[in-house]
This record gives sequence, C-alpha cells and structure tokens, in this order.
Amino acid sequence: MNRERYIRLRRDDWAQYEKLLHRLQYTREGQWLAKDVSLMARLYRSICFDLSLVQSREWGSQLEDYLNQLVARGHNFLYRSPRGSVLPSVSFLTTGFPRLLRRHFYALMLSTLLFAGPLLACTFLAAVFPEQTAYLVDQEVLQQSIEMFSPSEYRRDGQNFFSERSYMFGFYVNNNTGIAFRAFSLGALAGLGTAYVLVSNGISIGLTQGSMLAVGGQTRNNFFSFVITHGALELTAIVIAGAAGFVLAQGIVVPGNRSRLDALQYSGRQALRIALGAGAMLLAAAFVEAYFSPSQIPPAAKYLTGAVTWALVLSWLAFSGRGGSSDES
Amino acid sequence: MATPQSHQLQVLTPMSGSPRQLIDTKVTVETPEGVDFQFRIAGPGLRASAWLTDQLVKVLIVAGVLLLFVLLAYAFELEFSFPEITSGFAMFSWFVVDWFYGGLAEGLFDGQTFGKRKLQLRVVRTNGTPVDLLSAIGRNFLRTADFLPIAFSGGLLVMICTRRMQRLGDLFFDTMVIEERRLTVSRPAQLLSKVERLQRSECRHRFQVPDRTLSVIERLFDPARAISDARREEIAAPLGNALEQYMGFEEAGPDPDNPYQYFQKRGLRHTRFLLRTMKTFSLTDEDQQDTTAASPQEGRKHQSRPVGDSE
Repeated sequence: MNRERYIRLRRDDWAQYEKLLHRLQYTREGQWLAKDVSLMARLYRSICFDLSLVQSREWGSQLEDYLNQLVARGHNFLYRSPRGSVLPSVSFLTTGFPRLLRRHFYALMLSTLLFAGPLLACTFLAAVFPEQTAYLVDQEVLQQSIEMFSPSEYRRDGQNFFSERSYMFGFYVNNNTGIAFRAFSLGALAGLGTAYVLVSNGISIGLTQGSMLAVGGQTRNNFFSFVITHGALELTAIVIAGAAGFVLAQGIVVPGNRSRLDALQYSGRQALRIALGAGAMLLAAAFVEAYFSPSQIPPAAKYLTGAVTWALVLSWLAFSGRGGSSDES
Repeated sequence: MATPQSHQLQVLTPMSGSPRQLIDTKVTVETPEGVDFQFRIAGPGLRASAWLTDQLVKVLIVAGVLLLFVLLAYAFELEFSFPEITSGFAMFSWFVVDWFYGGLAEGLFDGQTFGKRKLQLRVVRTNGTPVDLLSAIGRNFLRTADFLPIAFSGGLLVMICTRRMQRLGDLFFDTMVIEERRLTVSRPAQLLSKVERLQRSECRHRFQVPDRTLSVIERLFDPARAISDARREEIAAPLGNALEQYMGFEEAGPDPDNPYQYFQKRGLRHTRFLLRTMKTFSLTDEDQQDTTAASPQEGRKHQSRPVGDSE
C-alpha cells in the first residue's frame, strides 16, 4: 500500500469524520444521536490508526499534519472533564470555603499580619501625632472625607439616597473587589505583589482612620458607625484575598514534596477558590456599604449590627464546616 | 530489500526519528489509543492580537449592556437621578466583564473567546483535553500578574522560558494556547498530468520501486514545500541516478527527426524521471483515469514540454 492509494482508500472516512465532528461540536450534548456517537468513536479510533501508520511510514508532513489535526480535534471533543457550574455552590460558601481557608492557616496569618500591622500602626501614628503624619496624608482627600462625615453634611434628606448609593455600589464593587483580585493574582510573583497590595492598603486605611480619630466629635462617630458593619466583611475579605495570593506564592516558593510545576497547579486551584470566596464576600460588603452603612439610623444601632456582623463572620470562618473533610477540590 | 544496490537507496531516505527532536512550536500528546499527536503552540503575536480583539469585544459588551439599561429605564419611566445610577452600573458591569469575560468564555465555549475564535486559537489543558471553568477563570485572573511590569513583558519572558509558551496564568492552571488550523491534503494530480508513465520496455532490470523510496519522491513533490524547480532537480539527481541504476532504466536518445525537443527536456530530466516513476507506481489504475480525465487536453498538450515549466 502506498501513500496515494491509501489516501484514496481512506479519504471518505476522513471527510465523514470531519463533517460529523463539526455537527456534534455545534449541537448540545442532549441532542446527540446514539448512532452518531458510536460512529464518531469508531471513526476517531480508525483515524488514530491512520495517523500512527502515516507517522511510521513517513508519508509526508502534509498528510501527517492533516491527520494530526483530525486526531487533535477528536481528542479534544471526546476526552473532557465534567462541566463546572458558573455559580459557586451553596455548600462551598457555607462550609467548603472556611475549611479551605483554615487549611492554609499560615498564609492567612501572614496576610493578616501584613495588612493589620501597618493598619494599626498607622492608625495609632495618625491619631496621636496628627501634625507629624500630616505630610503622609493627601490633605485634600482627607478634608473631603471629614466634610462628608461632618454632622452638617452627613444628615441629608434621603431623596437622592438610592441613586447616589447605587453609584457608590458600582464604585465599591469595582474598586474593592478589584483590589482583592489583584492581591490574589499578584501572588504569582512569589507573593511580592500581594505583600505590596496588603501593606499599601493597610497604610492608607490606617492613616484615614487615625486622622478621623484625631478629628474627634460627631464626625468621628459618624465615620466609625459607617465603617464598622461592612468592615467585618470587607477587611476580612481583603485579608483572605491576600491569603489566596500567598497560597499561590507557596507553589513557587515552597513546593514541598511536589515538583514545582505540580505544586503550581495544586496551589493555583486552591488559591483561586479562596479568592473567588473573597470576591463573594466583597460583593456582600459592597451591598452593606452602599445601602446600609450610610442609612439614617442611630449610630448605636449601627455599632450593634457591626458587632454582630463581626462575630458572625469570624465564627463562620473559624468554626463552619469543622469535623468534615476539606478534600473537595 | 536485499539487493546489492539497496544501500544506495537507503542513504537517501530521511533519518527516521529526527522529526521528534526538531526545535519547533509543536507539543506532543499521547492519546489513550496509544497514538502520539501534536499541537502547534500559538505564539505571542497571535495571542496579542486575540487579546486586542477581546478588549474591543469587552468594551462593546459593556456599551451594549448600558444602552439596554438606559432604554429600559426610559421605557419604564423610572424615577432616579440618571447619571449617577448609570455610571454606577457602568462601573459594576465593567468590573464583571473585565474580570470574568475571558474565563467564562473559555470555560463555557470550549477554550475560545471571541478573539481566539477569530484567530483560530484555543485554550486546552496541557494533556490536550478541554479547559475546565475553574482553570479558565484562574488563567484569566492571573493576567494581572503577567501584565507587569509593563504591557505583558513579564508574561512574555515566562513564555520564552517555557516549552509550551505558557504565561504565568497558564503555568498555574495547567493550560496552553494552541493554533487550530483546518488543513487539507492536496494531491499531485496536476503535476502528474504533464508526464507519461514509464514503459516496461524502458527498464532492463526490474519494474518496481520500494515503497519507502516512493514516499521520498512523494515528499519531494509535496506542494507544501516551496522548492524552486532548479533546486528540486538538484535534489532529484542523486535519487534519480540511483533509481535508474536500480531499475536499469535507459532513456531513449534524441529523436533524429526532432532532436531539439530532447535537448530542451534535458534540463529537468531527473525531476521528470521521478514524476514518471511516481505516476507509474504510486497511483492506482482508478487514479490514472482520474488524472487524465481531469484534463485530457492539457495532458497531451504539455507532454512535450519540460516538467514544471511555468507559463
């Protein structure tokens, strides 16, 4: 059998296979006919044989490329992983996520340290030494926020409330979740990018908070009653996204018993799930921040809800899903 | 082939095994059927233009969604402060599209965003199977890291260092981007219509050619190779000589009535001989009828001309 005769003999099958593959690829799985599927499998196997024959006989690169392409497409069509769902499952959010997070306890602690450390330090510095830290803070922005939370400005009639807050909702999602996702993905640079995002955000939040403390009075009260409720979700979510970044970095820096490539892939999937969980938390936080935090209820009520939210979030992360297995990735 | 002359032919067959070690952009994957096949890895240029296309698509999606939003608001005469709500919604939808467009498209449409589809690229896992949703989202998230320090130069550097041209996002999620071209096999019928078959009487020794030698000849005339006629003649000369010796072929001398024709054909005589060999031994009888039936007029008209002479 030579090349030309072989092509002549087999080309009808090849054409049929190409047509069938195209048809199956562009129809839904539920609409496939049983006979088409079995014909597909038979044709695919015979073309695999054709390819290996052509490879061993060295019948020219063109024919080999052609068959190679047929096999590649068929392989891609026949062998697939189960379809994932677009939305995260409820059980992942309630139990899987805290479990996964606790499994990466050290990453979480490192992230907490890098975020909370600068935050607390800067809060302290800006509150106690306002003059000395003044040059660190963008005074214009600070004046704006002080004005925003001042007693005269803060209590406005709620006519435009919904529109204005919807604008802020878009802003919060875009800004905060963006920061969290960046903190995660920059972990791919051996964790340095994550550390940078955490520390710089810690510093800027700390300075604002400290300056507000220094201003005092009703403005301070307005500010802290504003931030406490969504802070429970928002600040923890930023820390968690940072932890996801460090899990990613773990694959590069400490692969452990795995080869480095395996370690990358293992930590990649785990880290992504953590980061997506943090994203969901930030979405909830943006809702709270946009529509609840600035609402016209007394500060005491906000402090109370804030305290309850903090307790709920922390106990969810610390206790939910204990006693089960965390291997579900 | 235990013939005394066989070693001369052996020298001319390409070294087997060497194609697997070539430095090229192909990656071999073994199927469960035990067959190796190859993917051609997509380079940075193609991927960059797919990315640019996708950026445009993203902007169009957000613009479309906003337009719909505004139209709906007008239709239902909702009462709200317009610019604020709309720009809030714009930020929200840009965020969703920017972070999730690539991942969702690749995860749900078999590894292809719009841009990748346009440029015939596809994301697959490194074992050749389709990418799953989680990996697709992950590899798109890490684009932020690949972008650094500027304009994807970090990702480019990583691509240069990896065999499958993977950027960081690909490395972490076990994916690669392949070129998926639709190929066809063209056949040398056109060439062969210009020559006549070898006659049994022209060969003193034997009237046959080993299969491997035939496939070497077939490859020499592979239309995918851009070889000039002169260079092909140069390559054909040693093979043609060996084959003529093997078959005991002797070309007829110049026709005393029309010697000019003989000398005109002389220039590409080895090419011509190999084409005649191919026509004689590599086609079935059915094919023979095919090629002559395809262009019977032309075939006869060009028989006297040198092979490969372009008009």
